[in-house]
Amino acid sequence: MAPTLLNAALGALLAAALLGPAFDWRSVAIVVAAALLPDLDAIASLAMAGATNALVHNVWIPLAVAGLLYWDTALRERYGWRGVRVGWVALAGFAVAGVAPDLFTEPGVSLLYPVENVYYVVDGLLLFSTQDGVVQTFVSASADTPGILPFESPGTTETHAVPTWVNPDGRPGLALGSERRLVLVDAGWQAVVVASAVASLGVRFRPWTRSRTEATPEGSGREASR
Amino acid sequence: MVSTIVHAGFALVLAAGLLRGDYDRRALAVVLAVVLLPEADSFLGPIMSGAHRTVGHNFTFPAAAALLVYYDTRIRGQSLLRERVTERGVRIAWVALFVHVFAHVSLDWAHLDGVNVLWPLHDSFFRLEGDLFWSSADGLVQTFVDIDLDPETGSRQVDAGSTGTTQSVHVNNPVEPDDPETLAEAETIDRRFPVAGRGWRLYLVGLGVFTVIARRLQSDPPAE
Repeated sequence: MAPTLLNAALGALLAAALLGPAFDWRSVAIVVAAALLPDLDAIASLAMAGATNALVHNVWIPLAVAGLLYWDTALRERYGWRGVRVGWVALAGFAVAGVAPDLFTEPGVSLLYPVENVYYVVDGLLLFSTQDGVVQTFVSASADTPGILPFESPGTTETHAVPTWVNPDGRPGLALGSERRLVLVDAGWQAVVVASAVASLGVRFRPWTRSRTEATPEGSGREASR
Repeated sequence: MVSTIVHAGFALVLAAGLLRGDYDRRALAVVLAVVLLPEADSFLGPIMSGAHRTVGHNFTFPAAAALLVYYDTRIRGQSLLRERVTERGVRIAWVALFVHVFAHVSLDWAHLDGVNVLWPLHDSFFRLEGDLFWSSADGLVQTFVDIDLDPETGSRQVDAGSTGTTQSVHVNNPVEPDDPETLAEAETIDRRFPVAGRGWRLYLVGLGVFTVIARRLQSDPPAE
């Protein structure tokens, strides 16, 4: 599981980038909350074997929600354009900021759960070399992995347990005695992403915006905040 | 270097978040050019030891640039920059500066031997590496900055990830893919142009592409 703080930071960056005129504290909070949702399956793993990074970390939930958002008109009628925009960006926060970061690093994500219970990790390299041509190890065509997708696999929900601070051994049961680690930042680049998100939100919500648009009062302050 | 494509991916996300009404193809092109430019210090490598990750990768120049832009646009009565590129240009300049610091210099700071943080004021490479977690046994632990207290002398040693100076550090890049001395002896030179060296870098590239595509597909807000 990628640090929850990283999911939140990425959610905030996506919110700033995609919300447009719907950007305010409330909509940012909704998108960040959506990015945190997938990590709740760690709690489910206390009762259910192999739920972490599987139960809410699959492609089916985002696909279903996307279908609903596309088809449904109730949201549009009730909340208007703004509600639809926040809905789509929250979905992006869920899938892109919540689920995807876990896929690209150990311990991986069970993408097709519950259809198959195989964890996948997309980690490798892609480069162009003047001697060797294109080198890539993200997609492994030689399929000795247990799943259908051509990615490296660390195991299935039976063999591969994902430890979290909620569930230190990744298996059902409370394990009250063991040490718990709540990881905030796992590597230098994650610290950079978190700092970027904090700085971006600071710039977007900066209190001095209004005084800068002194020539055009109130109305265009909203224009500037797009 | 973290591949320029990775910088560009993260830069697009940050720029989309900060440009507001100025978001368009031209503004993005300016931001991408600013991301690309610092890599030119690779070409100084053959004439200056340790030039890559030094000349274009430090926090001194961005700080100086920020002070200059601030002075010119806020303190001076007549702003040269605003006259040249209008108010919109000034806003894009600030975004480009932000992107340069966070998407370029900072990401490289966390990669290989890091960047020469305070060059030319102070010649020393630093690398940002470590983690930060709360443990039920040890409390809050961070390993980004090591602080050692010598038990005998009581002197304190702070190590923020220093890796060397321009004389000792060489960061491989396509222009000089290995140490200059090794290169001089090598028969064939393998130049490697990375796209993404790890999963998370591929993720950042994808995040940038996703953001730009999503911005294109979005519907315009209804006219009020």
